Amino acid sequence: MGTTTISDSAELRLAEGVRLQTDSVTGKSVLLYPEGIVELNETAHEILARCDGRTLAEIVQALAEEYDAEIDALAADVRDTLSDLQRRKLVELR
Amino acid sequence: MTTPRPYALLAEITYRCPLHCPYCSNPVTALPVAASPCEAPRRPRDGGYSNGELTTDEWKRVIREAAALGVLQIGLSGGEPLARRDLGELIPAAREANLYTNLITSGIGLDDDRVRALRDAGLDSIQLSFQSDESSLADEIAGAHAHECKLDVAAKIREARIPLSLNFVIHRRNIDRLPQMIDLAEALGAERVELANVQFYGWAFRNRAALLPTLEQVDRARDIATAAKARLAGKIDIFYVLPDYHERRPKPCLNGWGRRYLTVNAVGDVLPCPNASSAIPHLRFENVRTRDLDWIWQESESFNRFRGTEWMPEPCRSCPQREIDFGGCRCQAALLTGDAANTDPVCELSPNRARVDAILHDINSSSDRARDWIYRVNPKSLDRRFATTP
Repeated sequence: MGTTTISDSAELRLAEGVRLQTDSVTGKSVLLYPEGIVELNETAHEILARCDGRTLAEIVQALAEEYDAEIDALAADVRDTLSDLQRRKLVELR
Repeated sequence: MTTPRPYALLAEITYRCPLHCPYCSNPVTALPVAASPCEAPRRPRDGGYSNGELTTDEWKRVIREAAALGVLQIGLSGGEPLARRDLGELIPAAREANLYTNLITSGIGLDDDRVRALRDAGLDSIQLSFQSDESSLADEIAGAHAHECKLDVAAKIREARIPLSLNFVIHRRNIDRLPQMIDLAEALGAERVELANVQFYGWAFRNRAALLPTLEQVDRARDIATAAKARLAGKIDIFYVLPDYHERRPKPCLNGWGRRYLTVNAVGDVLPCPNASSAIPHLRFENVRTRDLDWIWQESESFNRFRGTEWMPEPCRSCPQREIDFGGCRCQAALLTGDAANTDPVCELSPNRARVDAILHDINSSSDRARDWIYRVNPKSLDRRFATTP
């Protein structure tokens, strides 16, 4: 099984047919897709809310500024999260 | 125990269908009995569906009530949902309630205009069924000339840029063509593929001797699906539904009874599971024409009967898996042991596992792979139930 490595310049979007919205019962963020629901933790929500065509590097930069975080560790986490979501066809790369 | 909230509503808006698949999960009697025989038949107020199906306005109310309960997703299914002419009203109603809206269809009856209308109404995705990868076998399974039409419909859906999932129900007659089915999904540009080993309810239960794959077939199919899932990761999301009878532990059916899902069928009966009305006929199911969805979900006997773990007999009651597999499937327990409260007999710990083994033994020791099946027929009893009003 090949692992997908997302490059810094890859543009990220929610995949077609995937919706990010707030669950009115819990107030939490959810991803909705055909016959599936993923409840997001705060980190995943913050990443996905920025998947609007921005590159991986831009998303990491924005998060680092927002949360005053160390960029290398953050970049690894964001890349892992997005790779997992990309394999599940929930985000797409361009 | 606090009552959980539901996440998804399956709306079986009609039982009418142009196909006759012998594995259809619709009730074989097509009469989900909720009303007692002496109760006055209820007619739709706006007169659109004299066969007893819920009206457009009734469905809109169900959609609003479901969203208020916490439902996030609706599957518009059937029967063939395109047989109803009011999808252009039901889809916007679902979108207005902020529901993710998926149409589960054979595709028959979907022309260019209708595809665009569905998209413009706000449909989020379409799940298109296929019976196999090529016409002769697919049409034999469907009992109709449908395959070529489906190929055409898949292309139209992609042109309209509606996300496309394909669904293949897998059984003894088509399981050896799994690689070709996956190729077809790739060629048609599907985002998702469900490779669903047939589950034995409704017509499929009646036809199980003709549909159940052999152990050898199942082992090969699992390897093919696993390899394809890895190969296509990021391109097509493959969901493989396990061949229930061949497993050693039961499936976590519905992720627990009355816990995440509810079904409203064509005549408005509210079911914890789409198969429950035919598999567990003695349980009384409520109807949206007499009760609101909130009461039915929270209070009704049918939704509370197998909720949680209190109802469980041994070996489930003391099993460390009890909140993982929830004792398996109530409908399967009812169909194979005669009592819905028994442990799912697929479980190797069930005292009734021998019943499943006997069925499997019969299949694996038989070289006859072309036993006859009975095709699904369209329901007439819906008409009967409501035809007595003067």
